[in-house]
Amino acid sequence: MPETIERPRPPAPPSGGGSDGPREPKVEKPNTEDLLNRMRKVDPDQAKRYRQRTGE
Amino acid sequence: MDIQFGLETEIGITRDDPEGMDVVAESIALVRSATVPGVRSRWDYQQEDPHQDARGFRVNALRQDTDEANYFAQDLSRPLSFAEIKSDLALRNGARFYNDHAHPEYCTPECSSLRELIEQDDAGDQLLMACAQSINATTENPVRLYKNNTDFRGHSYGCHENYLLARSLPWQVLADGIQAFLVTRQIFCGAGKYGWEDEDHFLQPGFQIAQRSDFFTELQSVDTMQRRPLVNTRDEPHANPQLYRRFHVIIGDANLSPYATYLKVGTTAMVLRALQNGCPSERIPRLADPIASLKSISRDREWKWRVRTGGGRTTTAIEIQRQYLTVVREYAPLETAEGEELLQAWEEILVDLDQNPLKTADRLDWTAKFKLLEGFRESEGLQPEDPWLRSLDLAYHALDRENGLFFGLMDQGAFRLPFANPRVRNAELRPPQTTRAAIRGGCIERFGPKVKSAQWDAVVLAGESTEVEVDLRDVFERSMVEKALVVLASSQIPEDLLVLPFAKAFPQREIP
Repeated sequence: MPETIERPRPPAPPSGGGSDGPREPKVEKPNTEDLLNRMRKVDPDQAKRYRQRTGE
Repeated sequence: MDIQFGLETEIGITRDDPEGMDVVAESIALVRSATVPGVRSRWDYQQEDPHQDARGFRVNALRQDTDEANYFAQDLSRPLSFAEIKSDLALRNGARFYNDHAHPEYCTPECSSLRELIEQDDAGDQLLMACAQSINATTENPVRLYKNNTDFRGHSYGCHENYLLARSLPWQVLADGIQAFLVTRQIFCGAGKYGWEDEDHFLQPGFQIAQRSDFFTELQSVDTMQRRPLVNTRDEPHANPQLYRRFHVIIGDANLSPYATYLKVGTTAMVLRALQNGCPSERIPRLADPIASLKSISRDREWKWRVRTGGGRTTTAIEIQRQYLTVVREYAPLETAEGEELLQAWEEILVDLDQNPLKTADRLDWTAKFKLLEGFRESEGLQPEDPWLRSLDLAYHALDRENGLFFGLMDQGAFRLPFANPRVRNAELRPPQTTRAAIRGGCIERFGPKVKSAQWDAVVLAGESTEVEVDLRDVFERSMVEKALVVLASSQIPEDLLVLPFAKAFPQREIP
């Protein structure tokens, strides 16, 4: 009896057909605390010190 | 020929401690730190002329010429040549990366699809971040990059869009037909700003939906740095000027959200296509005062975006956009699934903006920024005029995966993407295979040290016995690109490219 080989299955196509168009976001709950910490680390005076030359 | 497009983005640059910092030197150092494949200091500046006006004349001077002359005088004190100051890097993906005055600037290669554009724009962000990381590995005063358009002091820098159009589209039809669209599209492609400005100074605290709308005072002109125009008339096609024009849009914000870039460039290209296809002028919306509407829409805190039409009627920016969507459906027939998806996305964003603008925070920069910062303001008990909000605004735009607020949201899956897996690995840095950028990039990859000069519309190579010019001024058909890539793939020396109908041999010249 020939040995049977379990082949990996190809990934399932994305729902909504095979189109590459706009998609629903992955529903992952944002880690609000991480973002808040990132924001708290922003120096309140950073923009005061920021100076650029006019560009196009 | 369909419309091809690209982006050119000037980046804000500073240090954590900017005391005594020379922004020009910082920008030069950043561009020079790039280690990606490309050829350095081979850009051909002789082919550039920003003084030619699409209205059919050449201006003697631009408003910024005085500033330019002053900067040039200052730069004379640097021990660097003009080309060294520019530090141009023509990249293997057909892009350009250089120091533009005092900003690192990344120009995407020409793209024929929105997917290509999003990928190439992302490749630019990755390149910039890699440069900053490389510099920051050896300093305690890190360089910081911002993909934004203002320093909150009235100094603005641009994110320009370029659209290749048929020359047969009369300039005035184009200029008149696009005005109301450019004024109103900010409701979905504005990047949001905590502050009101005027040219050269800060006005007052307060949120508005777009970064650039404060800086436009003219309807049409060739200028780009002072008294900026809604419709820029620069006539520099970088293509056969008998057949093509490059519509140079200078009013857009630099978007972080790929979805906002997708909508910005996609909808603009579709409107241009409708105009090119002969959409009657009476079908195009008109505004009574486009410049006033530009500012009033951006600064409207009720987000009603009322405007007065050329006929004296009051309507809204959303209704103006809906009118454009209607004429696009009629005059720019869709040939691809990508086109239909874009129109659906456009329609959907208008519905959501109408019902509840903050519902678009999963796609648009301005709503994402507002939602994030207002949540923070409330949690920290900050007043609406607290200057910390401007620093947080800046942090939204930081090209910094670890600390940037946009990337914080992005990495948490808070943004929809216009395409699955849009990321191009920076190490690959490949050009779009559908446009002449693939030929430029291919020449750079195959013959790097032999590239004598590069421009958008030509690459000159030093051959064994002759100079080979690959003239790209008319190379916009995909079939021409594909044939050229086959020739490039088998070429051993630059002269092998002479079988291409647009390649010519010249006697060897010295590199200046």
